Amino acid sequence: MKREVAAEIVDSLKEAGVDFVATLTEANLHDLVIALGEDPAIHHVPVTREEEGIGVCAGAYLGGKKPAMVMMNAGFLLSANAIATVCIHPGIPVLMLIGHSGGVGEENAGHATVGALTEPVLQAMHIVYEKVGRFEEIRPAVRDSQTLARSSRRPTAIVLNKQALR
Amino acid sequence: MKRYDCLKAIAPRFGEELVVTNIGAVRHEWQALRPHPGNYHLQNLGLTSSMALGLALALPHRKVVAFDGDGSLLLNLGSLATIANQHPANLIHIVFDNECYESSRGAPTATAGRADLAAIARGAGFANVMTAKTLGEFEGGFLRALKSNDLHFILAKVEAGAGEVPAAALDSQENKYLFVRYIEKSENLKILTATPSRASSPR
Repeated sequence: MKREVAAEIVDSLKEAGVDFVATLTEANLHDLVIALGEDPAIHHVPVTREEEGIGVCAGAYLGGKKPAMVMMNAGFLLSANAIATVCIHPGIPVLMLIGHSGGVGEENAGHATVGALTEPVLQAMHIVYEKVGRFEEIRPAVRDSQTLARSSRRPTAIVLNKQALR
Repeated sequence: MKRYDCLKAIAPRFGEELVVTNIGAVRHEWQALRPHPGNYHLQNLGLTSSMALGLALALPHRKVVAFDGDGSLLLNLGSLATIANQHPANLIHIVFDNECYESSRGAPTATAGRADLAAIARGAGFANVMTAKTLGEFEGGFLRALKSNDLHFILAKVEAGAGEVPAAALDSQENKYLFVRYIEKSENLKILTATPSRASSPR
């Protein structure tokens, strides 16, 4: 991910009111994770496993924060039970920014299966999501996904495709 | 030492502290001993410590107490490293270690073998770690943690067995609303802010 894309995501998150972000990094998310860690307006919690981050975000919401979780799609799949039991079941919103590996243009053979499973699992969990690739799509997607998460009391997701991550 | 006796010993010490309970019998025991809107009963095995961390970071001036279990924490050992690094001074992480999956008919957990969760917490970076094997040790350790302004981990080695209490009459959605409304009121925060509908707003 280019630094200006990372900066646009951080700025969009802040404009949408997000003040608390849990992350689990990956090569494509590195610049975003570093930028989040350096921003004094955001409490950054690097976690060791993505479902842990879902729990931390849910707890922060109960305490009045506006949380988001940054992870790759492999971490989203790992977190399915946590999202169901901790967020969807009681009605706790968490905005999820999911880096999508294994989509069209993927060169790493190992990522294709996870890539193909990501959207069907989001749909199966009835999680409303937006796919984002172009720079100008970032800000409205973050704003509108956060608005829906807060009003519906449900997690929402932004899927950052290869173009956004590049 | 039984978990219910531990909870009974410390319940009178609670005022406005926030509590996150693990799934299983502990929620019913605690709700019977201390019915309070500041109790959040998690319906997930594993994330008690992480929920408590998020809550403690969001409200650093409020004491947060997690009632975790060995089976739960073993699912989420990485959270110990995250908590130790974040180091919330207002969090007390209590683990009732009965060395078995009691709510799932009692098969042994790893702590029935060689694993020691207190040693793992120390290794993860917790500075204040104690293992309580008697009620006196547990109560003393809890009171020290409650009075201090630092992160604490208390491992309570307990026998299996639940207190004879009625089932807590709270479902998850109800628990969430009661808890959030209580936080909104006690902290003067707006969490469940209603967005005005465009259709009903005056022109």
